[in-house]
Amino acid sequence: MNDLLVMAQIAGRRCALNAHDVKSVIELGGITPVPRSPDHIAGITALRSQALTVIDCRRALGLPSTEWSTDHRAAVVHVDGHPYALMVDAIEDIAVGQSGVGSVPGGFGPEWSRIAIGMVETAIGPALLIDLEALIGGRAGGHDTMGAAA
Amino acid sequence: MDDLLADFVAETREMLEASEGEIIAWEADPADSARLDAIFRFVHTVKGNCGFFDFPRLANLSHEAENVLADVRAGRREADTALVSAVLAIVDRIMDMIDAIEAQGSCPDGDDEALVAALAEGAQAGSSGDTRSAEPDAIAPESTSETAPEITEDVTQGTAPIVQRTIRLPVDLLDRVMSGVSDMVLARNDLAHRLRQAGNQPTIDGPFERLTTILSDVRDAITRMRMQRIETLYNALPRLVRDLAEDLGKKVSIDLDGGDVELDREMIEMIRDPVTHIIRNAIDHGLETPEERLKKGKPETGVVAITARQSGNKISMVITDDGRGVDEQVIAAKALSMGLVTEADLAQMDREKILQLVFEPGFSTAASVSTISGRGVGLDVVRSNLERVGGSIKMTSTPGTGALFYLQIPLTLAIISGLTVAVGDQRFAIPQSYVEEVVDMGSSGIEFVTLGETSLITFRDQRTPCISLSDVLGIADKKDRKDAIFILVRLASGDLFALEVDAIHSISDLVVKPLPRSIMQSDLYGGSTLLDDGQPILVLDLPLIALNQGLVSETRSVAKRRNEAQQSEFEAASERVMLFTDFDGRRRAVRLELVQRIETAPAHAIDLSGASARAVIDGVILPLIGLPEGPLPTEKVRLLRLTDGLCELLYAVREIDDAAALTNPVKPVQSDPMTEGVTLIDGEAVSLIDGHEVFASYGEPPAQIDLPKCRLPDSDWARTILSPLVTSAGYEVVPSDSEGADQVLSIWFEDEYESAQALDLPITGPVIRLRDHPDAHQGCETIYRYDREALAEALRMARTSVSRNNKTSGEAA
Repeated sequence: MNDLLVMAQIAGRRCALNAHDVKSVIELGGITPVPRSPDHIAGITALRSQALTVIDCRRALGLPSTEWSTDHRAAVVHVDGHPYALMVDAIEDIAVGQSGVGSVPGGFGPEWSRIAIGMVETAIGPALLIDLEALIGGRAGGHDTMGAAA
Repeated sequence: MDDLLADFVAETREMLEASEGEIIAWEADPADSARLDAIFRFVHTVKGNCGFFDFPRLANLSHEAENVLADVRAGRREADTALVSAVLAIVDRIMDMIDAIEAQGSCPDGDDEALVAALAEGAQAGSSGDTRSAEPDAIAPESTSETAPEITEDVTQGTAPIVQRTIRLPVDLLDRVMSGVSDMVLARNDLAHRLRQAGNQPTIDGPFERLTTILSDVRDAITRMRMQRIETLYNALPRLVRDLAEDLGKKVSIDLDGGDVELDREMIEMIRDPVTHIIRNAIDHGLETPEERLKKGKPETGVVAITARQSGNKISMVITDDGRGVDEQVIAAKALSMGLVTEADLAQMDREKILQLVFEPGFSTAASVSTISGRGVGLDVVRSNLERVGGSIKMTSTPGTGALFYLQIPLTLAIISGLTVAVGDQRFAIPQSYVEEVVDMGSSGIEFVTLGETSLITFRDQRTPCISLSDVLGIADKKDRKDAIFILVRLASGDLFALEVDAIHSISDLVVKPLPRSIMQSDLYGGSTLLDDGQPILVLDLPLIALNQGLVSETRSVAKRRNEAQQSEFEAASERVMLFTDFDGRRRAVRLELVQRIETAPAHAIDLSGASARAVIDGVILPLIGLPEGPLPTEKVRLLRLTDGLCELLYAVREIDDAAALTNPVKPVQSDPMTEGVTLIDGEAVSLIDGHEVFASYGEPPAQIDLPKCRLPDSDWARTILSPLVTSAGYEVVPSDSEGADQVLSIWFEDEYESAQALDLPITGPVIRLRDHPDAHQGCETIYRYDREALAEALRMARTSVSRNNKTSGEAA
């Protein structure tokens, strides 16, 4: 696996996004909240004439977003034809994956395992390769979160 | 028909291009019959399409070729070089004719017998060698002797329609270009902002201006790329009507109007089925048989008429038939028997309402299910299809004389006119088509009650269920209920409810973009859009919200007691007026066409210091009438903003009552010049404001476009002391060196005027001469520069002459 990876910190952990999926990295401006939407959707933001759905990756893992500061940068990805901005702690670097996707005995914990494809080695150390659809889909199908919020 | 022809030409070309490879392969190996299919399809389609047009030559050629190819496919005949050549010669000839059709719009005359003969089996042996070689001869003389001269002739006569080359493009490519252009516009706006910050830079400003112009041209063109004439929808209808009429043994003619109205291509596709359905219905159920019609004294042939008109960003489409019409009693009985309504419901519904029941799911009046329209697809599907794209449909009918369907269709799918509202800190957009009226809690005649968990507002004696947007969205609202604003939302189903919001911002055209599923799942939003400042906001899906709140007709509640006689837009041509109570407590009315808007102005926006009152609305100073003597009676004043199209003025009122129809005659009144007359509305005497007199006395154009110009001397005194006086006299001060317009009043100092005359400088237009001393010299054509009264009088006199001159020159031009 020699793919380019975008390295990012999510909830203090090092994660990797396939650089092929990342259209751009943007500076997050104003975010318009979306009332009564699933918890991990932070809102919508404008990128040129497009509206991006902002996903708070920390909340997608069921973690509070306030515990980690963010550098206000977000990775823009397209899933199912819709554009999303992934709000992370920080975008670190671009790195080359140096290994195949592997797993770790015992897994990464239920929340992390849900959104991770596996572990990948890079020059700056191991990272979790993120499954975008699982991350954006939200926790437990989104319906439960909504029910809890309503 | 031209569009259809262009399509035919384009399609034929495209198909030939697609099968070119096959043709060449077949030519190389005539035995390979697998290659035949593409060519067979080509001639077959050409033959089929020719049926629509009067092209006997084309039809004949393609028919012959098809026959031969069919034989080969069926194995009745062997394909050999001669046959391949003959077929290809025909294909070539077809393309020549297509070219000629594109250029002239008609098929050239000519003889194809040689080509057809070459196809015959007997021709194989004898002329196998020279068929191919004979063809160029056969074509060449024709195309030079017939087609070519005709074209040149046409061109010289200037009657040839200009051939518009067309290509077909996938719609998503257009969408990409369109969103690219939108991005460019945003980038331009950003750049413009930065340029303004950086100050004037002539070297950049010029090209930037050019960029702006080009960009707006491009945007126009792109928008038009998506538009198509509604003719493309109309084209298929005569055939449909003919076939239906034949099947049903009726005589029907169709009358199409407004084919040049343009709307979004996709929208045309979206309304194609609903329109077709309504026409089927009209012919099947609406129109009588010829015998019945004759018996009723109607012409034997029934008429189905379709009219399309553009009004603002909507298309109004009216589909009428002159058939037996719809009897509301039948509808009511049917709806009752199907359990769609109860007796009690019916008792409270007026005729109009009962008629709209035909759009309810599950409704069908057809006594017998026919093959034409009784396919289980009802008008409810028509309505829901139209509503999905933001349109609406209504029906009205006079039993015995016909039925009328009134459709409103938005111009495009993606751009809607929207109202921006605020709750708490957040803004949302509401499609304006749903907004019936906006009322604020402060206005009288509105009453708010909470019953259990539900809220109701009473407005115009009508209890309307009320939901608070902040509750629906779970946002904390900041304001008291006494400042609340209610938006009366009329859903396409006819249900009315009030939506409570904190504030209303603006109405603008919004480009709606889709949202991902995870947000759509909340069942609150229809999409997102960007405000002018680039901030994204959510567009509310009102029908869905109403449905989830149980406000839609399936769950008919007690609150839905509507007894208002809602006037349908296509009925009642009677004039309408706005009723109000003025500050003297009198009931008055003003014609509704004059009322541009209802404004509320705070006391500080009203200036009572001058001889006549004025108010500032939207940054424009407008004359204000109707106020009582003395200080303002209230902190906020309700104002009717009246306009005659050019001038505007404000009319202060104590209370706005309602809009009403002017049904009774207006009895002229002589005593008050501002009153046109007195009429009876709902049994009460109401005096009607004389729009002509009011505007003649008080109207002013809102912007200072047409003010007479005045040129001042070039001195500090003139700029600081004279200029305000001239401005207040109603002039626009122009620089002293400004060119042109001899209708410009100029003010000169006496000494400068004399020297100008001495130098023979041209002095045009009226002139006011000022002198420095109070005492006049002989002749006295000058005015002392501090003699305010004389100066004002001179300016006034000059003004009438300047504007009269302007007028005459305007009329002459």
